[in-house]
Amino acid sequence: MRALRLRDRHLGYVFIAPTILMLVVVLAYPAYHSLRMSLAPRGRPGFTLDQYITLLHDGLFGQVIWQTAVFVAASVALHVVVGLSMALVLNRPMWGRTGIRILALLPWVVPDVVAGIIWKWILNPLYGVLNDALLRLGLIAAPVDWLTDSSLVLPSVILANVWRGFPFIMIIFLAGLQSIPLELYEAAAIDGGGSLQRFRHVTLPGLRRVFIVALALDTIWETRRFGLIQAMTGGGPGTLSEVLSTQVFKQYFQFFKFEYASAMAIAMTVLLLLVSIPYVRMVVRQE
Amino acid sequence: MDSPIIYSRSRLTLTFVYLFAALIGIFVFFPFVWMILTSLKTETEALKIPVIWLPERPTLAAYITMWLRKNYATYFFNSTVVSISTAAVSTLLGAMAGYGFSRFALRGRGLLMGFILTTQMLPGVLVVGPYFRILAGLGLYDTRTGLIIAFLTICLPFATWMLKGFIDGIPSELDEAAMVDGCSRFRIFFTIILPLVRPGMVATMLFAFLLAWGDLLWVQTLTNSEAMVTVTLAIARTVQEFYVNWPELMAGALMGGLPGIVLYLLLQRWLVQGLTAGAIKQ
Amino acid sequence: MRKDPSSLPRRLMATLVVVLVAGTFIPAQAGEAVTLRFSNWHLVETVWGRSLREAISIFESQNPGIRITAEPISYGEKEPRYQAECAARRMPDVVKLHNFSLPMFFELGCAADLTPFIQREGRGFLDPWYEFPIKMLTHDGKLKAMPGDFMSMVLVYNREMFRAAGLDPNRPPKTWAEFVDYTKRLTRDSTGDGRIDQWGFSIPASKNPGLPLRIAPFVWSFGADFLTPDGRRSAMNTPEFQRAFNFIVELATVHKVLPPGVTTFGPGDVRTQMAHSRVAMKIGSGWSYPIINNINPALRAATTLEATAVPVAPGSKPITAAWLSGWIMSPHTRHPDAAWRFIKFLTSKETEKKFFLDNRVISSRKDVNVLPMVQQDKFSRVIVSELKNARLEPFIREWPEIFDAFATALQEAITGAKTPERALADAHARANAALGAR
Repeated sequence: MRALRLRDRHLGYVFIAPTILMLVVVLAYPAYHSLRMSLAPRGRPGFTLDQYITLLHDGLFGQVIWQTAVFVAASVALHVVVGLSMALVLNRPMWGRTGIRILALLPWVVPDVVAGIIWKWILNPLYGVLNDALLRLGLIAAPVDWLTDSSLVLPSVILANVWRGFPFIMIIFLAGLQSIPLELYEAAAIDGGGSLQRFRHVTLPGLRRVFIVALALDTIWETRRFGLIQAMTGGGPGTLSEVLSTQVFKQYFQFFKFEYASAMAIAMTVLLLLVSIPYVRMVVRQE
Repeated sequence: MDSPIIYSRSRLTLTFVYLFAALIGIFVFFPFVWMILTSLKTETEALKIPVIWLPERPTLAAYITMWLRKNYATYFFNSTVVSISTAAVSTLLGAMAGYGFSRFALRGRGLLMGFILTTQMLPGVLVVGPYFRILAGLGLYDTRTGLIIAFLTICLPFATWMLKGFIDGIPSELDEAAMVDGCSRFRIFFTIILPLVRPGMVATMLFAFLLAWGDLLWVQTLTNSEAMVTVTLAIARTVQEFYVNWPELMAGALMGGLPGIVLYLLLQRWLVQGLTAGAIKQ
Repeated sequence: MRKDPSSLPRRLMATLVVVLVAGTFIPAQAGEAVTLRFSNWHLVETVWGRSLREAISIFESQNPGIRITAEPISYGEKEPRYQAECAARRMPDVVKLHNFSLPMFFELGCAADLTPFIQREGRGFLDPWYEFPIKMLTHDGKLKAMPGDFMSMVLVYNREMFRAAGLDPNRPPKTWAEFVDYTKRLTRDSTGDGRIDQWGFSIPASKNPGLPLRIAPFVWSFGADFLTPDGRRSAMNTPEFQRAFNFIVELATVHKVLPPGVTTFGPGDVRTQMAHSRVAMKIGSGWSYPIINNINPALRAATTLEATAVPVAPGSKPITAAWLSGWIMSPHTRHPDAAWRFIKFLTSKETEKKFFLDNRVISSRKDVNVLPMVQQDKFSRVIVSELKNARLEPFIREWPEIFDAFATALQEAITGAKTPERALADAHARANAALGAR
């Protein structure tokens, strides 16, 4: 087996070449540009670590990293919960399954900016339907300030983001469930395992690899999520829903502090790299 | 493939399943119900306090206005060309790369995989500026090709990782058996692997399509003419700084979501059937 | 199935190329004529968009050798795009910006020097304009933009809501004390269902470039300012500033005369509330009436709405904020003469008259603002007469960041995340950090 893998290794490079080349050509320059920008002193040649030093002393940056971590962790965890549940439900025969699958996919076909605007509308304190519904059901006594209460704003944004993002996990799991050979379930059924056992011993291991990949990608994407938050709160009230992506945008395009924004982006990339090293190792390690 | 032996059909399980589906269903579907209801209202109705749930006299005016006011035929054409090209090319190249990473003992495989993932990590805000310069230099600024190249670089890493995950799930004994029979690697890839990872490819394709369809940042930065406007950009522009017409925005968002649904309908056959069928054949 | 595997990569590459080329769009070239690229956020708006397109046709018929391609852009995306385009030397030949970001574009070198063109036009060319806008748009002794619309911010109010609340529609509030009193009476339950559904005042307190225009009049009329007179340090730590700040915050937290969720509102939200009689007063300007009228014609804005000077603090002079826009020429344009002709056309008396008639925006040309059609319009008259009391928000590159610090504090204080004192102290520190290099 190993011999076989080594024998035609050069062919392997042929398979990966188009992708690698394309990424190198198109992304190396932006990456180099960002790095150089983050090291450039304002208005003169040479290089400096000033931006990174400022970053370390910026209290807001620490707060933003924490909020980003909460946003990403909660979003990814709930994507998995909702996505996996929906995949399991929709993988079983039931009436109207195709219709429900399409409906479940709907949040995903809405661009994230638009999803943010829709949720802002639903949560609107004046015209919003959520407060109205909860009031009618008697679940709340007074309208809730979903997007302006300092303890509710991040959960509200996360809620909208769970809605927007779970179909990705659902589709991946659905595809993953389909790829678990039927024979395994048959074997488990013959061994007399209950449905929980089958889930633990057949479904979960079968989904493992796809699961790790989906988790890695979702983590990275949610860290970069921008349109939804920008549309819902713009990072407010104050800075309570500010995340790395909204901060980088502000620094770059509103304050025109290209050097500082670049340093922030590089820091963000490095943090993401650290977070994703375990994923990379798990996925690369085979057998 | 709905095999009755996979799930027990006890009453309790069924009740639980439906209850759970209903709960999540409300969360998932309610925003859409609200979008549809809002899109059928007049603006005055949409802005009533307290909230009016059902439009008194439902009207399609918002849809008609949205469609007529701007050149949506062009926008749909742009979005479709760009999204489909992105989806097709990134899935094919991604599957190839995924196969390469899955089946060959490449030197520095971990590093290369890590590199591919790293390209996803730079915030888009920072990448668009340099991209702009590259595309302008190549004469591809404000063209669909330029957009496709930009989207490819976002989708390729995803496609590679995703499809490597799926290909890993296929026993490599299949390849080896075929090689013993004298098949080339390329033939194995196209005739054995690709059919087996069809669900993964379909999922990847859908995602790449929607990613390109829903993008705003790149379209805003890399195009500037009316002829290049995409559906998403047109919808986003109805949210002008000066005023949002809620029924029209909802109508636009619902119309803009249709192609994704159509694509899913076309592809879902493979999404649910692909691999199991292959596995059984084997 | 192909037998020869080595040709496969080539085939794939060929497929790739074909797909990419299939998606390419080659724009048609327009004969011998000079083509100018023109970008303006108003192009995506209904009323303004029509007006501008008509102006373009007029220009093209007067100048057969020049064609204008309009590049629509939304208000929020214009600065990022122009900046990226400028860095790649691809900025549209003529663009419009406003005082919030003009200084940044001047400093980034993204505006051509118009002084040579002015000199070529001869002496007295700039005489019809107010001096103030010309002075503001002059950077390092060079005129970097031609002034566009120039408006003072005024108090816009709804007569019918005044009447319904038992207030005299012909006696709008003159002082801040009166203003608070009015807003309290205007905040009420109009339908009798026990829920408040009308509010006295609204302001777009989300972080948006429209907020400084509407907040600065409050700050200035309390005798405070954002920066020290030399513009080098933050002045947000003065007692006057704290009083002005508390006054705004208490409208929300103590008097509760602002609609809930005010920190998420953009200018469009406030206009919509005004158009549907949800709020009785707001700070606005020339654009307010046509936009509100377009949102809800049933309001009959022309008769229902009224404009008056922003209230003053006791003993202080009237003061308000000004909006100023400028037409910029790309420093990299290949057709500077044609671009100048177009800018000259856009700022000519005839075109400015058209822009006034179509959009009710007030010109920075004195000779337009004295015309009867401006003076006889009840909104425009107030806006023009208040121009003498109007000043611009700080016109420096750091302003967006300093104002972001202020808006952050405002939101924190309104939502109770911090005390007003604490919030403002933090904003003061952040503003000084932003100014550090000066």
